Amino acid sequence: MADNNQKTVIVVDDSPSLATLFERAIIDMDILLQIFNKTSEASEYLEDNKPDLIFMNIKMPGKDGLATLKELRNKPLHSDTPVVMISSKDYAQDRSIAKELGAIEFITKPMPIQVIKDALKTHLNF
Amino acid sequence: MSNAYLRFWGVRGSYSAPFESHLGVGGNTSCVEIRKDNHVLLCDAGTGIIPFGNEILKDPDVEELLIILTHYHWDHICGLPFFVPAFIPNYKISFFGPGDSGADIKSAVSAQMRAPFFPVGTETWLAKIKYMDPPKENEISYGPMGISFQGVHHPGTTFGYRIHVNGKDILYISDNECLFLNKAIRQKYAEFSKEEKELYDAMQQEEYDSELALIKDADILIHDAQYTPEDYRKKRGWGHSCYIDTVNTAIDAGVKELYLYHHDPNYDDDAMKVIEENALGIIEDRNSDLKCHIAKEGLIVEL
Repeated sequence: MADNNQKTVIVVDDSPSLATLFERAIIDMDILLQIFNKTSEASEYLEDNKPDLIFMNIKMPGKDGLATLKELRNKPLHSDTPVVMISSKDYAQDRSIAKELGAIEFITKPMPIQVIKDALKTHLNF
Repeated sequence: MSNAYLRFWGVRGSYSAPFESHLGVGGNTSCVEIRKDNHVLLCDAGTGIIPFGNEILKDPDVEELLIILTHYHWDHICGLPFFVPAFIPNYKISFFGPGDSGADIKSAVSAQMRAPFFPVGTETWLAKIKYMDPPKENEISYGPMGISFQGVHHPGTTFGYRIHVNGKDILYISDNECLFLNKAIRQKYAEFSKEEKELYDAMQQEEYDSELALIKDADILIHDAQYTPEDYRKKRGWGHSCYIDTVNTAIDAGVKELYLYHHDPNYDDDAMKVIEENALGIIEDRNSDLKCHIAKEGLIVEL
């Protein structure tokens, strides 16, 4: 259960190693971290929940991260939920689509843990 | 010809290459026909779909077509404005591709046929056109064919397709940059801490496992092999594979037969011959049973 000041962050990525990277990055931060390895499971959770920040990988099994972000933006609950896109590819077209859909940052893999820490601090105002 | 076959109608990537020096391999852009009896599936609608369309008019048994699009970059849809069956009332043509709904597919397909880019729009098509909504699971069926799809590494949402037909699994992955993350990790490896190195070693393996799973045990793999190593070094991150990576990944995944596809339009027949010889050399060096060919326009593969 989240306390009053605790922030909720969800990560949508099918890589267990990336999940571990996030678990290590949030040490010392008051964050409730939830990991989803399928976009369908994340979408189900996001039906009724509004986290403080979402990290969304683009290439995912089933519906990809860009399509999932588009779907989220069509829901009033998530029209302004902060989303950081993650991708192993730095494609200009993906960056442009993500920006159009209101993603606040685009991080490319592989990133040092510090990049994740910095994103958390910046977007959660720690 | 038997009742089940696939035929390459267009094998180039990026743009068509109708040059005399290229015609041994072919100049049209992406389009592959897969046929079982009277069911005709078309993978992509590059300029290769134009000669297909002219040919199918002679076959009175075929009036229904399914066109599956990997994505909407020009080289994969630019044959549609000249696709004659779409302008004939007795054809039924269904489209499937990336998008939240059939309306997204319609919008992408129609965009290139608007003024001032083209004199007539898709509203002038007389065939019965259907734009398919995405299924709940990533699978669709078409007569005797089962078709599943997955996202691949290419700008925007791009699908790779697995088509099960006549007891065979055919993988159609026209645009996909394999081994990208592995190379990115190797480039930055020295900058990482010991802890990060361990995690990225594991991530590299996860990524490779996922690439192998995509094409695992394919009877026939038609895969992006656009660049030589020299050109790939200049065009890394453009969403296409170096043919050496394609061959090695196919061997590791236990693929039976590989067709190198989506050829760079700058490579003439001589350059393609060198690619073929080098690919066969890799297979020999690795003692693999993989059969590997250059996809050529007009080539028919019996299923």
